[in-house]
Amino acid sequence: MGSSTRRLWVLTVANGKSYVRDRSTVFWTLVFPLVFVVLFGSIFSGVGGARTSIGWADLDGTTVSAELSSSPAVAGAFTVTTGSLDGMLQAMRDGRVHAVVVVPRGFGSAVVAVRAGRPPAAPLGVDLYTDPSATQTAATIAGIVGAAVAGFNQSMSGMPPVLKVNARTLQTEGITATAYLVPGILAMALMQLGLFGAIPLVEQRQNLILKRLSATPLRRWTFVSANLATRVGVAIVQAVVLILVAGILFGITVVGSWALLAFCVLLGAMTFVSLGYVVASFAPTEDSASQLVSILQFPLMFLSGIFFAIDAMPAWLQAVARLVPLTYLGDALRQVMVGGVPFAPLPVDIAVLAGLTVVFFGISARYFRWQ
Amino acid sequence: MESGTSVIRVEGARKRYGAVVAVDGVTFEVGRGEIFGLLGPNGAGKTTTVEMLEGLRVPDEGRLQILGLDAVRSAAALKPRIGVALQTPSLYPRLTVAEVVRLFASFYETSRSPEDVIAAMGLGERRHALTKDLSGGQRQRLSVGLALVNDPEIVFLDEPTTGMDPAARRSLWDLVKGLSAAGRTILLTTHSMEEAEELCDRVAIMDHGRILEMGTVDELVSRHFHERTVFFDTIAGADDAALEALPGVVRVRHEDAGHTLLYTSDVAGTIAGLLALADGIGREPGDLGIRRPSLEDVFLELTGRALRD
Repeated sequence: MGSSTRRLWVLTVANGKSYVRDRSTVFWTLVFPLVFVVLFGSIFSGVGGARTSIGWADLDGTTVSAELSSSPAVAGAFTVTTGSLDGMLQAMRDGRVHAVVVVPRGFGSAVVAVRAGRPPAAPLGVDLYTDPSATQTAATIAGIVGAAVAGFNQSMSGMPPVLKVNARTLQTEGITATAYLVPGILAMALMQLGLFGAIPLVEQRQNLILKRLSATPLRRWTFVSANLATRVGVAIVQAVVLILVAGILFGITVVGSWALLAFCVLLGAMTFVSLGYVVASFAPTEDSASQLVSILQFPLMFLSGIFFAIDAMPAWLQAVARLVPLTYLGDALRQVMVGGVPFAPLPVDIAVLAGLTVVFFGISARYFRWQ
Repeated sequence: MESGTSVIRVEGARKRYGAVVAVDGVTFEVGRGEIFGLLGPNGAGKTTTVEMLEGLRVPDEGRLQILGLDAVRSAAALKPRIGVALQTPSLYPRLTVAEVVRLFASFYETSRSPEDVIAAMGLGERRHALTKDLSGGQRQRLSVGLALVNDPEIVFLDEPTTGMDPAARRSLWDLVKGLSAAGRTILLTTHSMEEAEELCDRVAIMDHGRILEMGTVDELVSRHFHERTVFFDTIAGADDAALEALPGVVRVRHEDAGHTLLYTSDVAGTIAGLLALADGIGREPGDLGIRRPSLEDVFLELTGRALRD
């Protein structure tokens, strides 16, 4: 390891230790977002209580087909809502049911024919719509429906299968509240990381650590690189922890590309770390830095679209949300992690975040004081 | 001071902050292995002078050289060769003593063993303590230790013993003397007369951004005082006019602690006269003694005020 690489490493580790030992920053950047995910995730998804619900669109409308929906294999596993095909698909898009089963026209007469010893030429297809973004739920539903269909086929003993499952996908636009919230909380965590990063920096200037470092051969770019490296490290920890917890507790899985997700996390971290540098440039003391951070964090949090869908906001609030950087990070992470209705196209989100990062770095390069 | 051995050379250094002239044309040289003290009250311009040499401030005027290199233009080349302890210890609050020393050691291509530095500063038992939990004196010692971590040729110590108890001061003085004996050059600032007298080979007295006088402590004293000082507990009833009339007395001064000082060219005559005077008003002088004028007297003579104020 070259001496400047070693310097960068030692300084990054030292920053990391300083971070871990700073309880309030660890709370705001890691514990607080985690509590949010667990708390709100539990409220919205009712962990352990709610059953998976499926929509049942019976195109056949015979007594035989009604028997299938009320059979223990189906009714025992799901809360079944019946309705028209369009109505059920809309219910799924709105997040009211997790999947839709479509019983084909002619099912009743086929069963009657089988019982009379006249099997159909080919099995009838039962369409099963699941949401690919909820992989785990989709797999569970597919398993149960598949077993129910197989059970039905077996009850016609000695005959070729009457039914088969046609797997279909439906990208739901109205994602569940928990799925909506998790990327938003990750965005919030990255914002906290950046903003709270301003405080130790001001502390180091106030305690003359920055001045003392100026009297050593340490170069400023090494100092800044180490500072960024520490923050990126924490950002990765935040993302991994939140995604793991959301996955384990609420079955939320990443639908988009992991590489794109990593890129968005890093870009978001950079945007808010550079905003933290701007705060550190204008806050003369540690106290004024923490005040400035509190003044910024809550409006950024609640005026952005990270907790509530922006279209659901009143018009004036939508206009405000459009101006809040966190909106774009939340939107980008949501699109990559869980899908859903985008607020802006992903390239726009990325361009806004990248542009802000450049502006924030520019401002801090101009106004940051080392002494 | 022969110019050949000068490792610090300052000529006509000037620095102004807005309307305030902090350093107003300072000139001095420090030789290799010397312990040189800038002595003066707060605001005299000592710290600004030192920080210009450390490359932390850019002078408005003047030439500052260290080890033959320009302190401003060659600051980067000089940084590995100097050690700096700022006036306020500047330490990472949430790192331990050992971690801070190791961190600073990593900044240099070559450095002393962190363990040696910790031991030399007497911080072995506190090596795993966070620096924010150290006492003021321990923090000060760590700050000086960090100035030595790169085994520098020149060490700048700005008010190094502020906040230290007498034992810690004494051990720091021994350490500084050891550095000097090993050929290291030390430039320190202080407002302690005792520290200047005890530690410094040469002293420059600064006030209002200027050097008023420079030399060894003995030179400074003998340059300003040919007399000796007779001191005693102030006698009520013996007025200054009567004291000034005593044999050999050139000047009378009252110290805050209820002491009176007589500067005299005739110690025996003065004391005999004083005893007679006291006897005449029915008293006996307490705590009577003789001493050579000190640096304190020189400072008072030069600035018209006591340094402790």
